[in-house]
Amino acid sequence: MVAAIETRDLRKRYGDVRALDGVSLTVPEGSFFGLLGPNGAGKTTFINVLVGLVERTGGDAAVFGHDVERDYRQARDCIGLAPQEFNVDRFFPIREVLEHKAGYHGIPADEARERADEVLKQVGIYGKRDTRFDWLSGGMKRRFLLARALITDPDLLVLDEPTAGVDVQLRHDLWDLITDLNEAGTTILLTTHYIEEAERLCDEVAILDSGRVVEVASPDELMDRGTDTITVTFRDPPSSVPDVAAGNGHVESVDLDDGRLVVTARQGGLLAPDLVRELDRGGHEIVDLDVSRTSLEEVFVEMTNGQESTGGSR
Amino acid sequence: MSVLPVGFKTLTRREILRFLRRPKNTFVPPLVTNVLYFSVFGVILGQRINEINGVPYVLFILPGLVVLGAISNAFENASFSIFHGRWNEYIDEALTSPLSYTQMALAYVVAGATRGLFVGVLIAIVGAAFTSVGAARPLYLVAFGLVVTLLFSGIGIVGGLWADDWDDLTMMNQFIVRPLVFFGGVFYSIAELPATLRAVSLLNPMVYMVNGVRYGFVGQAEVDPHLSLLVLSGLTVAVVALDVALFRRGYGLTE
Repeated sequence: MVAAIETRDLRKRYGDVRALDGVSLTVPEGSFFGLLGPNGAGKTTFINVLVGLVERTGGDAAVFGHDVERDYRQARDCIGLAPQEFNVDRFFPIREVLEHKAGYHGIPADEARERADEVLKQVGIYGKRDTRFDWLSGGMKRRFLLARALITDPDLLVLDEPTAGVDVQLRHDLWDLITDLNEAGTTILLTTHYIEEAERLCDEVAILDSGRVVEVASPDELMDRGTDTITVTFRDPPSSVPDVAAGNGHVESVDLDDGRLVVTARQGGLLAPDLVRELDRGGHEIVDLDVSRTSLEEVFVEMTNGQESTGGSR
Repeated sequence: MSVLPVGFKTLTRREILRFLRRPKNTFVPPLVTNVLYFSVFGVILGQRINEINGVPYVLFILPGLVVLGAISNAFENASFSIFHGRWNEYIDEALTSPLSYTQMALAYVVAGATRGLFVGVLIAIVGAAFTSVGAARPLYLVAFGLVVTLLFSGIGIVGGLWADDWDDLTMMNQFIVRPLVFFGGVFYSIAELPATLRAVSLLNPMVYMVNGVRYGFVGQAEVDPHLSLLVLSGLTVAVVALDVALFRRGYGLTE
């Protein structure tokens, strides 16, 4: 099966700046793929190479097997893009903007009109169809960008920070919508600053930093690499740190904090039952137990910070 | 079923609708300007000026004013639309679509030329209110009308892609298009110029355009209309080919 996106050693230079410094990624068809990275990591440049707004300096990039430069027309026809910036035609009411976009993709006028109405209803702004983009509220503008990406019924939906600056309700609406699309077979490439978003939605994420791929893994795999914190509260606080033998090799630290036992360990969730049994056998009566999992955000910060300090030597 | 691809037709239609829906910006200004030109230069001053080659002065300047309006509007439409799209980045809507680079460039060329032709016809109608005018050589009139508007729409695309700022657009119209037009034999006959100036004038492409269109209206020209049409057509083909090449290269459009 051909990959939705396949890049090999993809490079983009702006003078001395290497925006993309040898990115090799495979986004399987039908997947929900996240692209994470700090500002300036190269996420938007990566996307813009795919749709033809940025010309690559080297390497290969193909969308469903179509090279993005040699077969640009086929490649672009597969992609629906909701960009970060509000790059929308200001002259026409939004329904016409959608009809035009559909037309550019070869969809005949009658069908374009039907589809425009359909996607406006899908994102919940059909009532504003005769309004120009400038007069929409911030949240509606985001919804419109999604509608414009959907009007051509793309096989690959690319969402660049789709929930930047939107309220909680809208964020959840958008999540539901794109999850449904993915379940119906659309491949989704999502870039986001909200790690929670990637954690919740993506099958697989790539972490990008300074134009390089630092890691590709599922959110769960990444979280397993971080340290979790187990906090145990006793009926009678012990005077010294009890011996903890459980989960040897996973445990990173054991401390007493205000009478509570604080254990940090990798895969803390797996370790907790053994720890409880051991403490119980040792005669400690437990009244509360809290396991806080490391967040993807913490793992992400750790990975991208580390990269920064060694970036020059790699 | 039309032979033209849906994508090309849609972009051309979008470009034409853009100026049709804003008559205040596109049709009213040339209307007002040309009523002034015909009143002041044609009627008030024109009465003191002798006929040129047996043509009354007001009729003599009509073809030149038609050319002036047609080409500046063709130029302005193409350059403005491209630059505005770049400025607000919505040109991305077309750029990220499966339109071929040739289709993109041609859509802008055709739409700009269409606006030029509309304005040219409008000015001819205004002129007809001031003097009796017909089309002595209608086929030549149509041919020259098409070729000059296509040419300047094509040049407008280069301008719209090259400009970095709004001032650049104004500058091109004020300092390049207008001087060429004013020294292009719109208001005087180049036959009346001293030999040197006459020779210099013949290097100005505008002379051929004005004369060609004048030939279409009154059946008289100071330069051979066939040669003019040939040279202008060649120039138009070259400029449109340049437009396509610039789109392909992403000049002013991609990073």
